[in-house]
Amino acid sequence: MKGYRKYFLNKILWLLITLVFAFILNFILPRMMPGDPVAAIVARLAQGMSNSTGMKQVYEQYTSLFGTNLPLYQQFFIYVNNALHGNFGISFSQYPRTVSDILKSSLIWTIALQFPAIIVGWIIGNTLGALAAYLKKGFDKVLLPVSIFISNFPPFGMAVILLVIFAVNLKWFPTSGGYGFDLIPNLSWKFVWSVIVHYQLPFWSIVLIAIGGQAIGMRSMSIYELNADYVKYSRFLGIKDRKIVWYVFRNAMLPQVTGLALSIGTMVSGALIAEIIFSYPGLGTTLLNGIKGQDYPLISATTLIITLMVLFANFVVELVYGLIDPRIKAAQAD
Amino acid sequence: MKRISIVLSVLIAISMLLAACQPAPAATDVPVATDAPMATDAPKATDAPKATEAPMATTAPVDANSLPREETLYFNGQQWGTVVCWNPYSSNCNNAMALAQQDNARVPMFETPYLYDMLDGNVYPLLADGPFKWDDGMTQITFKLNPAAKWSDGTPVTADDVAYTWASHVKYNTQFGAANKDYIDTIEAADPLTVVVKAKLGEDGKAINPLLVNAYLSSNYVIQKAWTQTLEARTGGDAAAFMADVADDVVFSGPYHKFFSDDSKVVLIRDDNYWGQDASMFGKLPIPKYLAHVIYKDNAAGTTALQAGEVDVSQQFNSNVQDFWLKQNLPISTYLPDAPYGIGASLPTAFFNKASYGLDQLAIRKAIAIAVDYDTIIANAMTNQSATFAQVPRSLMNPTPGEQALYDHDAVKDLQWVGNDIEGANKLLDDAGIKDTNGDGWREFNGKDLHYVATCPDGWSDWQAAIEVVAAAGKNIGIDITTNYPDWSVYQTIVTNWPLPEKDFDIFMMWSDGAGPTQPWGRIRHLLSGEFAETTNNWNGNWGAYNNPEVNAWIAELPTMSDPAAMKEVYTNLVKAYLTDIPSFTLMYRPQSFHTVNESVWTNFPHENDGTNPPVPPLDMTDGWAIAGLYNLTLVK
Repeated sequence: MKGYRKYFLNKILWLLITLVFAFILNFILPRMMPGDPVAAIVARLAQGMSNSTGMKQVYEQYTSLFGTNLPLYQQFFIYVNNALHGNFGISFSQYPRTVSDILKSSLIWTIALQFPAIIVGWIIGNTLGALAAYLKKGFDKVLLPVSIFISNFPPFGMAVILLVIFAVNLKWFPTSGGYGFDLIPNLSWKFVWSVIVHYQLPFWSIVLIAIGGQAIGMRSMSIYELNADYVKYSRFLGIKDRKIVWYVFRNAMLPQVTGLALSIGTMVSGALIAEIIFSYPGLGTTLLNGIKGQDYPLISATTLIITLMVLFANFVVELVYGLIDPRIKAAQAD
Repeated sequence: MKRISIVLSVLIAISMLLAACQPAPAATDVPVATDAPMATDAPKATDAPKATEAPMATTAPVDANSLPREETLYFNGQQWGTVVCWNPYSSNCNNAMALAQQDNARVPMFETPYLYDMLDGNVYPLLADGPFKWDDGMTQITFKLNPAAKWSDGTPVTADDVAYTWASHVKYNTQFGAANKDYIDTIEAADPLTVVVKAKLGEDGKAINPLLVNAYLSSNYVIQKAWTQTLEARTGGDAAAFMADVADDVVFSGPYHKFFSDDSKVVLIRDDNYWGQDASMFGKLPIPKYLAHVIYKDNAAGTTALQAGEVDVSQQFNSNVQDFWLKQNLPISTYLPDAPYGIGASLPTAFFNKASYGLDQLAIRKAIAIAVDYDTIIANAMTNQSATFAQVPRSLMNPTPGEQALYDHDAVKDLQWVGNDIEGANKLLDDAGIKDTNGDGWREFNGKDLHYVATCPDGWSDWQAAIEVVAAAGKNIGIDITTNYPDWSVYQTIVTNWPLPEKDFDIFMMWSDGAGPTQPWGRIRHLLSGEFAETTNNWNGNWGAYNNPEVNAWIAELPTMSDPAAMKEVYTNLVKAYLTDIPSFTLMYRPQSFHTVNESVWTNFPHENDGTNPPVPPLDMTDGWAIAGLYNLTLVK
């Protein structure tokens, strides 16, 4: 376990270094976009404003309120101080709402949609891929082309197809929203059922595309592993097929685990396409509007969450790698 | 190691199990989107929060699980994104259902003294009692308040409330104070029901701009003094905090107030104690109990919901709107049964950047303007939801009869163009000596090829379609016009700050004013007035920096004029100057609000010749006099 501790500390150190640089970039990059975020706010106020001096006053009022008139380094220190206190500031695009409030109300929808979709897509995809590699014949011949076909659908294409077929034409599912257009959130069965029904199309539009990609990757890895010497040797030794398949699956899964970790890490950026096409609540469109409105605090907070989640997910993967595959730990600890 | 593997396997198995637990909806069990909730589900009228109760929190109304379809009027196209606040002093609430202090103020929750009707150009009393009057010296307006007018807490609306609202706008430098303080000096209470609005006076001792003083009365809400003082106490006199307050406890005078809002929808509920049911006003309550707006992410989602009967009143651009009833046989209609389907009110305009090479030449500007195929723009960009320039010849006026009557059509007839005049444009350029001398296909001015970029914000699809047609016109007359679509955040920063760049923003689109109590003067001012030329933070207009002293003088003179014949002459002169100098050109007519209605649940919406008097304008039953439409609705069944 000593080797593992060294490996662990090494990973933590790199995690912290990456975090510091990512934090700085999260602050600087949004502010390098061309354009003026306060102008966007003044644009909203402009209607009915008939004198230019009034407009200028309002503009100056907002630049000082948001601190965009301060030098960048001062803005950075204010940001660091606030972020350390868990305060991500006031959103520009949804002023006077705070960034924390925006994240609180939309993040849950995004995670509830994305996390199960990623996991389900990953599990089904990998299972199908492994089966295709193992069973071969008809199953593989059908699965491979179907997977390639589906995984190459652009996400908006899949979402629109599902929408047109199942919502517009067959009317099996609603066309938009996170819950019924005529409902108010409450704990009744009617509302819960409505949420479940509204969940289906956005969910499957993500899952179907994920399945194809995962299945193709897993199939290739499994075929490679199935032909490895240790499999042949195991068969000579008369080890049961089930046991061999488990080893094959475990080894073939390594790159798939990395992919899963990255997908989970980036999920808070939102299933933008599904959210837009199904008018589903969530962070994706909020973030998109934030980027369009140059909402620095919202962009920085969201990218910071993404950064933290990717780093954390990678960190966990590295640790799990160390456990799953002792060779990695040994190589890294040396 | 084995144990860890087992743990991992168990975790994976649990994930799979959880995923499998997602109930797969059986086709027959799923409620179809178009199904209306049964009327019996409806909370009874007595369940409604009383007027004196504070509006409910955003989280969970306790006694209502659903909005009864036959008591709810659904909208789309107004609310984009989450509602941020309910503060009538703020301009940043993103609360389109409740707050819009504008030419046609949105009055379901807060009310103005008067309501503007864009169809006849008149204002009608709301909180006021009878018409307002200017004194003989044109220095102040006096009007009475309706004694029946009450706040939601049951107290009367008084002149003191009107005066305190204005004083607060000025004190805290709100957008509404900043916009009007150059024209309004004070607003005072002569007695509890009499309001005196004193105008800022010019050197001649008369109001600097009586039009803008008039407009204040139908554009700005009256806010309760007592609540304002509560807000002041809460925010400690800090202007930013005063305007940033969420105002969940706000007192209102209108027929609706907040019921629910989250990231997915906003719902207003009727106040059954609304004062407007007094015989001196509407004589009854508005018909729908709830006004609801689902927050759609884009127009396409809104259109799908309209088709599904989930939206009753659609304030968004639905392309080929006639297909709804002609091809899909849906009970959907527009204000006018045929093209242009609505009443055009604003004039989306292409501006010339006078700093761009050659665009200071009238011949080049005019050649481009007359070569553009406007019929194609109207057919493609607006899917014929705009009058053509053959139907309503170009001027500075919108297509409403009131504005069209304001100028002498015959006097400007020779200056008006319909478009697609390639021959005329080529001749104009040839005569001006602007020819292609080096044979590369593009004309030169003083030896330099004419290359321009026409632009508008990215994603504004109707504008982009229009800009493409402008660019195509250039190719036909030997002027190279390419297109470029920057993001709005960049675009707005550039066009509102002079100097404009010498390239990439040669021909650019911006909006013009719609219909309102200051129109068409306000629109003309924003299109042509030199006061906005070459300024920064310019959200007013004249972005191409046109400056003609004669035009400036006419614009300054108009608000103080009262003789209709003299005004008509000045308006005619302005149209002449605009069509002669061509600093910008109108590309299409656009309605003040799109107004498409689905009559599967509600009917008796405003339609042309619907017999209402005053006529209810097609402004979504919420803006200005359009609110009267809510009292005429009936259920289909």
